[in-house]
Amino acid sequence: MALEHEEWKGTTGGLPWMQRTMIKWLSVIDQRVIYVALVMIFVPFYMLTCNREYRAMYHFYHRVRREPWWKSFAHVFVNQYHFGQVIVDRFAAFGGREFKFEMDDREWAVYCGMANADDGFLQLSCHMGNYELAGYILRQPKKTMHALVFMGETETMMQNRAKLFAPRGVEMVPVMPDMSHIFALNNALRDGNVASMPGDRIFGSTKAVECRMLGHRVQLPQGPFQLAVTREVRLMAVWVMKASHDTYRVHCHELKANPELKKSERVADLARQFAAHMEQMIEQYPTHWFNYFEFFEQ
Amino acid sequence: MEIEKLKEQIIDALNLEDLTPADIEDDAPLFGEGLGLDSIDALELIVLMEKFYGIKLQNPAEGKNIFKSVNCMAAYIEANRTK
Repeated sequence: MALEHEEWKGTTGGLPWMQRTMIKWLSVIDQRVIYVALVMIFVPFYMLTCNREYRAMYHFYHRVRREPWWKSFAHVFVNQYHFGQVIVDRFAAFGGREFKFEMDDREWAVYCGMANADDGFLQLSCHMGNYELAGYILRQPKKTMHALVFMGETETMMQNRAKLFAPRGVEMVPVMPDMSHIFALNNALRDGNVASMPGDRIFGSTKAVECRMLGHRVQLPQGPFQLAVTREVRLMAVWVMKASHDTYRVHCHELKANPELKKSERVADLARQFAAHMEQMIEQYPTHWFNYFEFFEQ
Repeated sequence: MEIEKLKEQIIDALNLEDLTPADIEDDAPLFGEGLGLDSIDALELIVLMEKFYGIKLQNPAEGKNIFKSVNCMAAYIEANRTK
């Protein structure tokens, strides 16, 4: 039995038959048709019915980013629309749709350097953009990627993820109470492969590193940073952000451990570097932040 | 296998600065009750076994028994160490 998150389900909405229908539709029609339906029907519906998620997002824009109420409200709407788009794109990918990806040449060179090295490395994501599509562009001929996932998705989602990712060398590692995920991630890094996990969600272990983001306290999970320091592997933060209906912009940034610090300080320093880059990404893409719970402490 | 040395390595790996080897009972559970360790600590113990004793743990089912207590860890190390 996999673990579930207390505050955030982290699952894709809809019954399995709805998801299967959506995948079939998106294999024949342009996803922009569904985008229109998002604006007209789904986003207003979700804003009326998903109050907890709506409130958390409203607080993010109004209290954290200090926007006036009307702008916060408008940003919540746009945020929900963007979230809908990335979910639709995910289904479109399951249906065989190919997306274009753009990336800075220098960032790509650093990423390729890590991917082609013999050592394993850790790839960090967060709940922004459409990280799941990273499997398309960030293929590594020499390595397999072991992606930590929180279970709870429907069978349709898990089967399609597996179908999409298996040929691309991506294996999913569910968080389990028997800690088998720890063994899987440790084995992956020891064998020179890639471990991938979110850096903004405390799950499994309750240990956290307190950081500052946008002038507020936040708690980031200690696990990913501890794993990188303990196994002495490089750490790359990756964001896959929607740029247009068929294009995503991939941002990569290497977080560097300071060897002069004590181990526990190195872990905290990496977490704070990640928080600083996440803050930059939020400033750049304020309506692509999909952490639908009260992430920022008041 | 020196139990005291293993306890010192555990304290160091897990950064348990407030504890001494005498505070860790040989048969007390490491996870849950007892020392109250969690999954991040499990990672540290896995790497400790690899670094100091050349033991590469692969199987989570095996880990459950090995990390039951310091005594269990010591017995497994004694039987499987390569350095």
